[in-house]
Amino acid sequence: MSVDLVSVVVRALGFIAMFQAAGTVVFVALFGQFLSAADAPVRRLGHRSALLAIALVVLYQLLGAARMTGEFSGLADLDMQLLSLSSNVGVANGLRLFGLLLIAGAVTRNHPGWMIATVTGASLVAASYAITGHTAGDPQRWLLAPLLLIHLWVVAFWFGSLWPLLLVSEQETTPVTTAVIERFSALATWLVPGIAVAGVLMAIALLPDIKALFLPYGQLLLVKAAGFAVLLGLAALNKWRLGPAIALGEGGALRSFRRSVLLEYTLICGVLIATAVMTGYFSPEP
Amino acid sequence: MKRYLSLIAMALFAVAGAAHGHTRVQKSEPANNSTITQLPKNVVLAFSAAVQLTALTLQKGDGKAQDLGPLPKAAVKEISVPMPAVGAGNYIIKWRAAGDDGHVMSGKVLFTVAAGAAASKAQ
Repeated sequence: MSVDLVSVVVRALGFIAMFQAAGTVVFVALFGQFLSAADAPVRRLGHRSALLAIALVVLYQLLGAARMTGEFSGLADLDMQLLSLSSNVGVANGLRLFGLLLIAGAVTRNHPGWMIATVTGASLVAASYAITGHTAGDPQRWLLAPLLLIHLWVVAFWFGSLWPLLLVSEQETTPVTTAVIERFSALATWLVPGIAVAGVLMAIALLPDIKALFLPYGQLLLVKAAGFAVLLGLAALNKWRLGPAIALGEGGALRSFRRSVLLEYTLICGVLIATAVMTGYFSPEP
Repeated sequence: MKRYLSLIAMALFAVAGAAHGHTRVQKSEPANNSTITQLPKNVVLAFSAAVQLTALTLQKGDGKAQDLGPLPKAAVKEISVPMPAVGAGNYIIKWRAAGDDGHVMSGKVLFTVAAGAAASKAQ
């Protein structure tokens, strides 16, 4: 197995764990006041996701040196490790680690002070993506960095809320579940379109022309867009059909809701994997 | 409205024309996909932007890759390293480099050494 392949797998899993950790923080900050039975499990999810993300970020950083040489023996090459550490990627991974440590250390503590620490941690994780990658080296960074941050925050909110929503639907009473779903859906209706708006603007700024959509970077972008369109359909189903059905106590509504949320979660994981491949191994330009 | 939107899209694409892509090899010696009749003294790679080269190898067919060097310690736009004496055959020069945006990039240059070229180098 090539070092590049292992690296992209670690990067993709890291994306999923990081967004879960940061998103759980956002979920707790927004909906924590409604939780009782699901409070501890949701916080544990944030804690474990952050720990997993820490391990994956460290592994990805170490693999950076191996990628530079093209062989796993690069892992033991001190010069390459130092070069990788001192690069933008090294700085970004350092910031991510600090943010994730804050989340892991504070998310299980139910106190406003600790919540500030976790939100700071999630902010550092999101900000780390603005100092490396295609947007960082672009002359239009002034536009792309804020767009990227909006994109990432909303993805973290959306993706990171799905698993906690499952826990809420399993462990809370129907009125609490309904209240959380309603509030989540109301917020998502306003925020989720921001993913598409920011994504399209970034694509327009990064792609040199329309023909670039037929190259690997552009094709993965189209895969992401298609996945997003399906996700919007599922989100609409939850908001307009299943949410109200749960509130009315319709039989089977909760089970359908959980199935739909699981499908959403799986699809977003697919989109995150496509993003890991797209941003790590291909360029917007030919 | 449609015309207005297409004008905005065109303006954004025009601005985007200045965007940087990943660094690539603009020129090389031996040239990519070339057949050489005389071995060059040096392998030369000219990049579109300065890169920190981290690996450079020469491989004959499916054979074992041999390291080329020495590699510069700092980021450079052009690198020139001695070309080893090689026989006739198909060769791949593979390179890896770290760009200023933090990405690890890689690429290759394919070339063929004609039978006469190898003989003239050996004399």
